Amino acid sequence: MLKKVNAVPLSEPGQSTRPAPPHALATGWQGAPYPAVVLDHDGVLLVANDAAEALLPFGPPEWLTSARSDGGRVPGEIDHRSFEAHPVPHDDGAATWWLVEDTDTRLALDALRVERKRAALLGDASAALLASLNIDRCTEVAARLAAEHLADAALVIAPPVRRQCSTVVCLRGQEPVHHALRVDPAAVPGLSEALQGFPPVPSRWIDPASAPEWLRPEGFGEIGSMVVTPLPGLGVAAGALVLLRHAGQPAFSEEEEIFARLYAARAGAAMSAARMFAQQASITDTLMRELLPPRLSQVAGVEFAGRYRPAQDTERIGGDFYDVHPAADEESLAVLGDVCGKGLEAAVLTGKIRTTLRALLPGADNHDRVLNQLNDTLLDPVSTRFATLVLASARREGAGVRLRVSCAGHPAPLVVRADGQVEQVSSQGTLVGVMPKVRTTTAQITLGPGETCLLFTDGITEARGGPLGEEMFGEDRLRRALADCVGMPADAIVEHVQMLAAHWLGARDHDDMAVVAITAPRGRHLTAVGGHSRGRFTA
Amino acid sequence: MSTARPLTTTWTTPDEHTAKVAVEGDLDFDTADALLREVAERLPGLRALHLDLAGLGFCDSYGLSVLLMVRRRAEAASASLHLDNRPGSLERLLVVTNTLDHLTGVATLVHQQTPEP
Repeated sequence: MLKKVNAVPLSEPGQSTRPAPPHALATGWQGAPYPAVVLDHDGVLLVANDAAEALLPFGPPEWLTSARSDGGRVPGEIDHRSFEAHPVPHDDGAATWWLVEDTDTRLALDALRVERKRAALLGDASAALLASLNIDRCTEVAARLAAEHLADAALVIAPPVRRQCSTVVCLRGQEPVHHALRVDPAAVPGLSEALQGFPPVPSRWIDPASAPEWLRPEGFGEIGSMVVTPLPGLGVAAGALVLLRHAGQPAFSEEEEIFARLYAARAGAAMSAARMFAQQASITDTLMRELLPPRLSQVAGVEFAGRYRPAQDTERIGGDFYDVHPAADEESLAVLGDVCGKGLEAAVLTGKIRTTLRALLPGADNHDRVLNQLNDTLLDPVSTRFATLVLASARREGAGVRLRVSCAGHPAPLVVRADGQVEQVSSQGTLVGVMPKVRTTTAQITLGPGETCLLFTDGITEARGGPLGEEMFGEDRLRRALADCVGMPADAIVEHVQMLAAHWLGARDHDDMAVVAITAPRGRHLTAVGGHSRGRFTA
Repeated sequence: MSTARPLTTTWTTPDEHTAKVAVEGDLDFDTADALLREVAERLPGLRALHLDLAGLGFCDSYGLSVLLMVRRRAEAASASLHLDNRPGSLERLLVVTNTLDHLTGVATLVHQQTPEP
C-alpha cells in the first residue's frame, strides 16, 4: 500500500530557500494531470499526487526508486505502459519525479519501424522478382522471399494446367524445390478460390489441421497456422501463395495477412509478366519452325539460293518470305513475297500464303490461275492487308534454264546476263488479297549458263542509309551490284546482295529483306543420259 | 526509318458533300491507322473525298493497304475517292502493284507496259 503522506506540504520536504509556493500552487501539484512523486535520497516515497496514487496503488516501481535524480530522464514500464520519469532535484537530495507517458509514441515508432522494414522488403522483392523473365526463376524468388520474411515455409502454386499444379516449395533458410502436383485444389480451404483470383479467406477461418498431407513440406512438422492468398496476375490469377507457420509460433495477425497480400500482388505481377513472356516465346518458337525460310540448293539442274533478314533481329519471322517447291522432272516453283505489315500478324498471313501456294502446286503451270485462287483465299471483308509476290517456274533445258516469271504487285526481278548486262523482267500484275480479281502478265526468260534471275523484296531497294544516312539503296545501285556478280553461283550472289544492303544500312532500322537467286549453273555438261533428258552437270 | 515524318491531316469541306484532306508526312505502319480512323468518322454524308497527297512523304505497303481500305469504305458509302497531286514515288508504287486504276475509281485494267526502270 502507498504510504499516505497527504498532509505534507510541498515546501517542507524541499527545504527550499525559495519562498513556499502559495496554496493554489500546491493544489495545482496535487491535482496535476501528470503523475508526480517525491522520493528522498534513498528512493523512499515521501509524497505522491492524485494521478500518481491512481497509477501506482502499490508504490513506485523499482526502476524509479533506484534511479538517480541527477542523470536526466529515465524510461521505464508501468503496467505494460511506457513512461519517462523527469526528475526535478531538491537541495536535500530528494527529487520530484514527473511521470510522462510515451506509450503511444513508442507504439507509433515501433509500427513505423515495422512499416519501413516492410516497405523496404516490398521494394527489394520487386527488384528481385523483376530481375528475371524466366518463370521458374521468378517463382523461386517469390517462394524464397516469402519463406524468409513472412512465414516458416511458403508454397507458390500455379493454376492447374492439364490437371497438374506446378508448385515451388521453400522452407526458411533452404533452397526452393519444384514439384508438379496432381492434386485437388479444393482440398485446401481457400486455395481453389485463390487460384481463380478471388479475395483471400481470412486465415483465422482456416483450420491448419484440415490441410492435406501434400501441402505440408517434407520435414516441416505440425502446421500451426496458414494463410492462403491469391497471386493476382495481369488479367488472370498467376497462382496462389500459401504461407505456413510451425505449431507453437504466433498465428498470422491481420496486419501480417494484409502485408502478405501486398507482397502477393508484387509477386503475382512479376510472375504473370514472366509467364506471358514465356508463352510468347513459345508461340514465336512454334511459328518460327513453320515459317522460317527453307535452305535452298540445286534442284534438277537449277541452282536456288535465298537470304532473309527480318526487320527486328529479335523476331526472326516477319513479312517477307520465300519458298522453292522442287519438282524432280518438271518445273520447280520459286516464290518470293512481301506481306504488308510487320511482326506476328504479318507472319500469320505469310503462313497462310505459303500453305495455300503449296496446295495449288498442281496447277502451277498457269500462274494467273494460281494467283487468282490465292487471291480468292486471302480476300477478307474487314481487312485490306495484302501481299505482293513473284512466282518463278524454272525448268532446265540443255545447258540453260527456262523461266516463267509472274509478278503480282511486286517489283520485277532482275536478270544478270553473262556479258554483265542487267535486265528487268517484263512482268506486271496486281497485288493479292484485296481486289476481287487479279491480273498478271507472265514473262518468258531463258538463262544461259552462269546467268541469274534475282527476286528481291523492297526491303533491299528501299533500305535507307549510305554515306548521308537517308538515301535509299535503290534499284540502280542494286543493278550495279549485280553487274559485278557475273558468273557467280546463286549462293554467292544472294550473300553479296545481302551484305551490300546490310553495309548500306549500317546500324539503322530496316524493313524485312529477302532475296532469292535462280541460276543456270556454269558447270560442264558431264553426261547426257539418253537423248532427251537434261543430263547431269557439274555445279 | 530514321527521320520519319509525322502524319498530319488538314480537313476542309468546300461544300457539304465534299471533303478535302491535305495529307502531310509519312503514311506507314506507324501512322496510317490515324488517317483511316479520321476518314471513317467523316465519311458519312460525303459524296466525294479528295486526298491531297502533295505533301506525302514515304508510303509503305501498310500505307497502301490503308489507302485501299479508304477506297473500300468510300465505295461502301457511295462516295468517290480522288487521289490528287500524287508524288512520283506513290505513283510508282500504285503502278507496280496495279492498284492505280482501282484507287482512282476507273475499272481495273492490267498495265501492259513495263514500269519505268
